[in-house]
Amino acid sequence: MDTMTYTTQSIWTWWIAMYLFFGGLGAATLSISFLTDMYCRPHRKLVLWGALSGVAMLAISSAVLFGHLLHHVAVIYVLNPLVLFYQPHAWIAWGTQFILWMMVWGMLYALPYMRETPWFMRMPLVGALLQTKFVAWLSGCCLKRRRIVGWLATVNGIGTAVYTGLLIQSFPAVALWHNPGVPLLFTVSAFSTAFAYLLLLLNVFIPDENDQDIRHRYERMDVILIATELVILFSFFNYTLSGSESGYRSAKLLWNDMGWLVGFIGFGLIVPFFLELKGVIKGWSGRMPTVAAALLVLMGGYMLRHYFMYAGVYAYPW
Amino acid sequence: MTHYAMVIDLNTCVGCNACMAACAMENQTPVWKGSWRTYVHEKEIGVAEQVRRRFFPRLCNHCDNPPCLTVCPTGATYKRADGIVLIDPDRCMGCRACAMACPYDARYEVTYGDIKIGKEFYGELQRTSPSMDKCSFCAHRLDKGMKPACVETCVGSARQFGDLDNPSDPVTQLVASGVAQPLMPHLGTRPNVYYIDDMKRKG
Repeated sequence: MDTMTYTTQSIWTWWIAMYLFFGGLGAATLSISFLTDMYCRPHRKLVLWGALSGVAMLAISSAVLFGHLLHHVAVIYVLNPLVLFYQPHAWIAWGTQFILWMMVWGMLYALPYMRETPWFMRMPLVGALLQTKFVAWLSGCCLKRRRIVGWLATVNGIGTAVYTGLLIQSFPAVALWHNPGVPLLFTVSAFSTAFAYLLLLLNVFIPDENDQDIRHRYERMDVILIATELVILFSFFNYTLSGSESGYRSAKLLWNDMGWLVGFIGFGLIVPFFLELKGVIKGWSGRMPTVAAALLVLMGGYMLRHYFMYAGVYAYPW
Repeated sequence: MTHYAMVIDLNTCVGCNACMAACAMENQTPVWKGSWRTYVHEKEIGVAEQVRRRFFPRLCNHCDNPPCLTVCPTGATYKRADGIVLIDPDRCMGCRACAMACPYDARYEVTYGDIKIGKEFYGELQRTSPSMDKCSFCAHRLDKGMKPACVETCVGSARQFGDLDNPSDPVTQLVASGVAQPLMPHLGTRPNVYYIDDMKRKG
């Protein structure tokens, strides 16, 4: 059996890259904003923006996957939490439950802040709903058990970020995917893009001079995560260069592509790394470099997943 | 206990594709878009006078450790006690993770559109919902004591079907002798389709 066929797949393409990107970004955004609120200092605006945009991203992510299903009604089986008992080895089952429960706990964590915000209370329907006795009671319960609710959301958020990598790792025929580095890479990337997104929020949508310490902390964390991502990517480069033909062909696809090299590695990681590093060490006089770095990191986050899906090479023995 | 397996002899496969036709009629596969439960891959190998054609029949390998089953989020993919890996189309939501996990390219999708075309193509269609699909070793025929359609129809007897738990079964003996080998055993999938390599028999 001396003939082999090497080919990339056209089953999971850009839409899965979108699912993984928005899933990881939304999950990490929720987790970081809640942890900041619990352990740094209470921050109503950050929680509201983080929770609502995080939930919106997760909804987009889930909608993209749902839209591509062949049999939409059967999704009911994976929405049932009991799925974890009869399919505990299926990562999509875990991922669906993580996403679902993170959205629930995320909204519950944000609920007391929503009731404190006049804009929400004045909104048609939402305002009326927030003023009902049941929601008032629920909000009170969440306020009393704030840390528990926050940690439930955070644990599900971290679970979602890790899941995006575990999902790709579960395909044994592709060397680029089936290795322990993938969940690590996707988790680091999810949190890096989330820090970038929150920096964007804190610099553009909810700027406040008192938040300088949070911005500085986020920027420092992002620099560390980008550096970690570069190290992981270098180890991927090294790993795919030899050991299997599938991996070698993936390496050739990735590292000979200017979009990957210049677009992702260059502008998605190295340029924002230095922009943020200067921000951390010396600071910038304006906000533009930080905003530009955040946008580049977000672009890079999608590109990573996009290229990863297209560069997976199957080795068929025929 | 029965443990079904198939041995395919690449020396005797003549590439007539009768297995594909028999399977398509038996299992009503969406052949109009080039999707088959079993497929005979053709390839030219060698150069100049040495060039020859190789026929490589493919199908689901009904692995003992099937990656398609472990990734299935709804439990639509399941394994029978006799080793056959099956799909419950009503339970399958069609996320295609199984197709991504399969190292043998054995799975394809059946859409709402395919069901509509299938009703016209086959007259009456057994399937009612879209799902992923693949070879079932003709489990419905085995349950009636018959062989899979592709085995039954193979003119060169290239396909042999048997029970690995029966020591006197020719399939068991071929597998035990080491002449018949599974595809990509290093992946740990433990396939139950074995191939007799044409190169080993050459000369």
